Amino acid sequence: MAKPRELKRRIRSVQNTRKITKTMELVSTSKLKRAQDRVVGARPYAQALAEVIGELYSPELAERFPLLRQPGRSVRGAGVRRSALLLITSNRGLCGAFNSNLIREARRRLEELEAQDTHTELHLVGKKGVSYFKFTRRNVASQRVDIGDRPTLRHAEELVQPLMDRFAAGDLDAVDVVFAKFNSAVSTPPTTMRILPVTPPTKRRSVNYILEPSAEEILDELLPLYVQNQFYRALVETAAAEHGARRTAMKNATDAGQDMLTILQRTFNRARQAQITQELAEIVGGAEALKG
Amino acid sequence: MMRVSVISAERAVFEGEADAVVAPAYDGLVGILPRHAPFMTLLGTGIAKIHRSGETIRLRVAGGFLQVASNVVRIVAGSASPADS
Repeated sequence: MAKPRELKRRIRSVQNTRKITKTMELVSTSKLKRAQDRVVGARPYAQALAEVIGELYSPELAERFPLLRQPGRSVRGAGVRRSALLLITSNRGLCGAFNSNLIREARRRLEELEAQDTHTELHLVGKKGVSYFKFTRRNVASQRVDIGDRPTLRHAEELVQPLMDRFAAGDLDAVDVVFAKFNSAVSTPPTTMRILPVTPPTKRRSVNYILEPSAEEILDELLPLYVQNQFYRALVETAAAEHGARRTAMKNATDAGQDMLTILQRTFNRARQAQITQELAEIVGGAEALKG
Repeated sequence: MMRVSVISAERAVFEGEADAVVAPAYDGLVGILPRHAPFMTLLGTGIAKIHRSGETIRLRVAGGFLQVASNVVRIVAGSASPADS
């Protein structure tokens, strides 16, 4: 049986760790709340944008917009030849399998694209993805670690605008984003979303609008916003999902710490009792010996 | 009266009833009164005013579009925030 002093030291260590994980759990819970509000807040805009594009869109117009160009009708012939993959990960760890799930999804997608003979360049957001792909020594087209857990529309614009320009110029045939979809705090599956070419939301034109300027010019203005917004939502949802994942991970760690403490405490008590019993036995034994 | 909502990319900024709306369209101000015909226009940059029973709410908007359909006005702007008078 371990020495009581040794046990005491381990108990203290587990107690301290549990204190830290407990605190992180609480911090994540409050950050999750705010991040969740941002996810919900971004919804009406995305919905309105999708509705309007759906109403203005018609297949005849599609031919004229570079952002709607389908890979099949690409300038260089059939199929997706060159594509870009944007992977969003978090900057910080201690959130369970959150980042490794995202990275795994990105690798799966990369393999899938490369199996179709598509040259794919990789754009990374977040430290965890950056360090992983540095480790595998894969070529990375761009990387950013400065976004953190409060992404703004500006961030999304900076990242997506160059890709949109290159897509419009025919330099890229497709752009995918791998992110964590925020279904709820406990369900955040890694997801791949194709943001370019734009898949127009399907909705039949229901009302005859007075359009000012023309439908074409409005679409021309709104399509880039739509792409930007999709990416912005991916950023916001991943940020919220990260906090959700961290909260769960830290809750598990706290619970595991508690279980460990219970066992250690019990072992310690038994060891202490054993020591006392032994000392008593020795004293009694000694006294008996003196009598004799 | 008509329903008005002002939505920015980050959140819904305003939601409520109004008697009139004046918004900066891409080529100048547009005024919307109740029972306006279905209408859609691009927005420029400027101050949108929402008039409601004597008071006026002023919001700074930039980019996006304005949509009117069945007495519902939607101002969907890239950015929208309360403007100081």
